[in-house]
Amino acid sequence: MSADPSLIVETRSLSRTYRVGDVRVAALADVTLAVPEGRFVAVTGASGSGKSTLLNLLGGLDTPSAGTIEVGGALVSAMDREALARYRRFVAGMIFQSFNLVAARTALENVELPLIFAGVDRKERRRRAAELLDKVGLAHRAAHRPPELSGGEQQRVAVARALANGPRLLLADEPTGNLDSRTSREIVGLLAGLNRESRLTVIMVSHEEALVREYAQEIVRLKDGRIVAAEGEA
Amino acid sequence: MRFADAVEFALSSLRKRRLRTFLTASGVMIGIGALVSMISFGKGMQKNVTAAFESSDLFNTVMVMPGGPGSPSDDPDERGAVAEEAGPAEAGKKDAVLDDAAVAGIAKIPGVRSAYPDINFPALVSLEGEEEFRLIQVVPAAVAGSKAVGVKWGRPYASDDEEGVIVSRILIRRLGATDPAAAVGKTLRITSVTIDLGQILSGGLQGLLGGQGLPVSREAHDFPILGVIDTKPFGGGPSPMQNDVLIAPVPAGRIKRLPITSIWDLFRMKGGRLGYSAVSVKLGSLGDLETVRTRVREMGFTTFALADQFDEITKAFYFMDMILAAVGMIAIVVAALGIVNTMVMSILERFREIGVMKAVGAGDGDIRRIFFFESGAIGLAGGAAGCLLGWATSLLINRIVNFTLARQGVPFIDYFAFPFWLFLGAIGFSLLVSLVSGIYPARRAARVDPVVALRHD
Repeated sequence: MSADPSLIVETRSLSRTYRVGDVRVAALADVTLAVPEGRFVAVTGASGSGKSTLLNLLGGLDTPSAGTIEVGGALVSAMDREALARYRRFVAGMIFQSFNLVAARTALENVELPLIFAGVDRKERRRRAAELLDKVGLAHRAAHRPPELSGGEQQRVAVARALANGPRLLLADEPTGNLDSRTSREIVGLLAGLNRESRLTVIMVSHEEALVREYAQEIVRLKDGRIVAAEGEA
Repeated sequence: MRFADAVEFALSSLRKRRLRTFLTASGVMIGIGALVSMISFGKGMQKNVTAAFESSDLFNTVMVMPGGPGSPSDDPDERGAVAEEAGPAEAGKKDAVLDDAAVAGIAKIPGVRSAYPDINFPALVSLEGEEEFRLIQVVPAAVAGSKAVGVKWGRPYASDDEEGVIVSRILIRRLGATDPAAAVGKTLRITSVTIDLGQILSGGLQGLLGGQGLPVSREAHDFPILGVIDTKPFGGGPSPMQNDVLIAPVPAGRIKRLPITSIWDLFRMKGGRLGYSAVSVKLGSLGDLETVRTRVREMGFTTFALADQFDEITKAFYFMDMILAAVGMIAIVVAALGIVNTMVMSILERFREIGVMKAVGAGDGDIRRIFFFESGAIGLAGGAAGCLLGWATSLLINRIVNFTLARQGVPFIDYFAFPFWLFLGAIGFSLLVSLVSGIYPARRAARVDPVVALRHD
């Protein structure tokens, strides 16, 4: 369906409207976006500009009110609940501002979660999870539970978890919002490294202008749910 | 998601909420425990009664009563006897009298092992000063020595003319003797009440009803106690050990007695001839029941066979089981609501975790399965514990009841029965109930919107 095979993400007139009581609020309106594979894209904007809504739609957590989303040639906006679950499991990995790790499970077990839902057997998923933790530099913290880890370490575990099933797209929703500036730089540097080394497409929501300017190849600015500017190499 | 992983997820989240899991499973345990002990009580009753009937030969007994087919069943004293309906061909023998000739005739029918009149008469019995009012039952030696009577201490009378009586352990106790073995050989005094029959018959019933009163006299006879019957629980039935004093026909004949057990017998006298109110017929085998019954009916009598009643008894027990199960079900319903409540609470607490699992790729089915297995595990654990609880409860009740009844001379009885299927069925049922209870929570968990859940704190 995609006109350009080099594009991994393509949205057309994407809208998302919420109903708050009797009032309809447009969180996202008429967003048309094209992201070539292997790109590091930053989405910025003020609070309530629709950044997270866009990311949730791209991540298959939410469904659009209008418009279409195509990822890797598949029409995500037309998927049913089961297909969306598979899409989240295998195609789009997500990380969040508040890490969203399961507190009762160790770092290793958290990385195993997506593998469990993918039906990978215990031995194989242990091996893969350990490998991923090593990749994000946390092999020595594998047996620790999230409360025993620093913010930066938790976000690294979250990154390893997002990569578990080998996604084509990494979506990061304010990944540095809860971190100090030094750790923030480390995390965004980790994402940029993944982008560079494995040609993994990264779409990161952030309002930290300095980091965005340093690492992103393309910046999409949102205001009131609409794209006001797109700058970069496109 | 693999089955083993879903189980592991369920168990680990139950472990995390130990107290609540324990309390919810306890609810199931109590419910299943109640159900199991109720049903096992019902089954125990059925087993005891059936065993008592079978051991006492009662299925091989046919009661024969006067009043041929077609005559109105006018005797309210006949214990539960249901008169057999019969065809019009036998209407001519309406007035057949159940006398000694008739008994001899019945005894000659092929398939009949023995036939003896069911004679009861009221009398005062006394042993060393203590007195009780009892029905004395006349039983031939052949029956008194059979296992249906079952003399435990001493011996039954050897012939139909031996002087002596067989008494029940309960009566011995009531008369103040604690040791049934020591009572053997003591003298039992039977004081009968008699009415001058001739006077009543010559004066007609009008004299009796006119308020002249009965011409009554008392007469005492002494008999040695030959044997003592142990008390048989659930042993009540039409024959032969319904009474506490058994006596052989010949010595009984010497006692001038009131040959009736109720005033209704007076109306049954046909033309001054007085028959027996009932005759017990023992069959060689149950297979002869139909032929013997047909022959007896041709002679103009009514029959009552306990074997016919067994279906009714089974039905009655089935009904009792249903009532007991219904009581147990109330506890199960409460336990099921407890599971639903716990699971819904669990969803609210793990709202964010559900969102996380969905974000990393859990499908609706995965989430549903995790919650489903959680409530199933509660049901399984509660069901297994409930079986133990029900069993322990029955042991306790058995002990208390038997301890209390032992003082009244009742031997130990196991009031409960635990067939293997009851345990398996209870655990299976508990699992089923918990899974049904889990349907709503599991569906609700699966419908959680990940965007809302992840925003949730």
